[in-house]
Amino acid sequence: MTPLEILSATVSGQPSPRVPVFCNLLDQGAKVLKMPPKAYFANGEYVADAQLKMLKHYGHDNVWSAHYVGKEAQLLGCKDILFADNGVPNVADFVIKSWDEIATFEIPEDITQHPHWQVMDDCLKILRDEVGSTNPICAYVTASTTLPVILMGMDKWMELVLIGPVDLRDELVRKCSLFVQKQLTAYRAAGANVIIYASPFGSTYFMPKKRIVDWSMPWMQEDLKAGTDNIVYYGGMAPINTVMQLVIDTLKVNIFYPAPEDDISESKRLINGTGLTSGVLDDIKMIHWTEQQTRDEVKRIMRLGKAGGHFLFGTGFMPLKLPEANILAMLEAAFKYGRYS
Amino acid sequence: MFETYINDYNEAVFEIDKELALEVIESALEEGVTPEQVVFNIIIPSIEVMMAEIVINADTNLAQHFMTAQIAAEVTEQMLAKFESPPDIIGRVIIGTSYGDLHSLGKRIVMGCLKSMMVDVVDLGVNIKAEAFVDAAVAQDAQIIAISSMMVHTATGEEGSLKVRSLLKERHLEDKIKLVVGGAPYRFDHELYNKVGADSWAADGVTAAKIIHQLIMDGKS
Repeated sequence: MTPLEILSATVSGQPSPRVPVFCNLLDQGAKVLKMPPKAYFANGEYVADAQLKMLKHYGHDNVWSAHYVGKEAQLLGCKDILFADNGVPNVADFVIKSWDEIATFEIPEDITQHPHWQVMDDCLKILRDEVGSTNPICAYVTASTTLPVILMGMDKWMELVLIGPVDLRDELVRKCSLFVQKQLTAYRAAGANVIIYASPFGSTYFMPKKRIVDWSMPWMQEDLKAGTDNIVYYGGMAPINTVMQLVIDTLKVNIFYPAPEDDISESKRLINGTGLTSGVLDDIKMIHWTEQQTRDEVKRIMRLGKAGGHFLFGTGFMPLKLPEANILAMLEAAFKYGRYS
Repeated sequence: MFETYINDYNEAVFEIDKELALEVIESALEEGVTPEQVVFNIIIPSIEVMMAEIVINADTNLAQHFMTAQIAAEVTEQMLAKFESPPDIIGRVIIGTSYGDLHSLGKRIVMGCLKSMMVDVVDLGVNIKAEAFVDAAVAQDAQIIAISSMMVHTATGEEGSLKVRSLLKERHLEDKIKLVVGGAPYRFDHELYNKVGADSWAADGVTAAKIIHQLIMDGKS
């Protein structure tokens, strides 16, 4: 079976030889091509090339589109990203600098005509042609209730959400939801077949559950009204077990990518033999582990999650500081302990 | 007498109802509670209740932490203007985000709580070089340098806490100035603070204020 078939069988509960193994190598691509991150991410062909090289080198299942934090902000007018040679890019220019600017903030009519989308499209075209029939191709979309964080900064958004004018808050989220819908359509058309829907404001780490029910959920329903195919619910590394049942019931999404601190057995209980949940390794701790500690943790995750299927092994957004030996040990263990035979 | 106010105020904060929280304070003032009592007998104990709640109840969330700090800072500022004499400041903290890091929410929560707890906070802002932290701590006679990092590379990078520690050592300041770190990466690896040379860490902004307060008090004793 191809990795894509294994993933599909895992979601539907059909027999498969092993647990799918996702490895989220994003910023590593620039290192592979020995390029500065800014130049690397400016060209979709570079990103696709590096993704394919890493796929061949490590043998994991998935590839990534040209995603980095701030990409969505650039599609909405952000003019400055702080790239770093040793880590993830950072939004350095907020599109919305004051609440007054929400009224004039506009979503592009056709995001696929934007130069920053062109990079994404170039990347996805190559990945689709090369591995689209065999491997999952991942894209990342931030939920409308969280997207303002990269447009105006976390503290300003938190302030507007919690103590600001409700009509202004919802005007911004309505615009963001429109953007989310456009992105989902564009990604699907471009060939992404796994869409990580990141919703930290849909995690009880960020918000009380009542707010999630009353406010986040209706907007997420709006985001996903065209369909939930291939949508993976992700809390942005914040725990999501406490909202999983709510997401299943309300959004009709049953594929989850929890945080390392979410209890795997509880995640499995919640999906109740349908869809998919993931055991996510804490790759920040992994920076300082030995190879044996890494293998032991993979073994533990597989022991908790593998039985009964509907389970994927995954990583966080792997820091550049991760030792190569640990990445190799992790993958070796994932294929060894994730086997079903 | 104050217990009812503390309970009502905290309930409002937990429910993220700023108006109700401010109404509780307004009622207290109308009923004869002094501005000094509002701060020392309602606001500070309320922050302490939230600090305790975080330890025993994993379900507290960032929104509640934000509201705790936001409302406490706002009320304290209003009350300080009405104090009969300026309160004693218990210590001073230099705070900022690490070099390359532009995320300011955690820092804002820490600052809000500390100010209400009568700790003087000097905010250097975001994307701060190690030298600036140490220079400011010396110039301002601060007991604590607090560094917030949201990303792994800014938490562990050579220009962040590691360099602050090396500068403190080089300038023989380690006994006088303690280094506290916080932010998302530390939440995933509880030993990371050690690896970046910090004296202590916190998983959230409210707890960070508690730890900083404790370190200042330890330094006095």
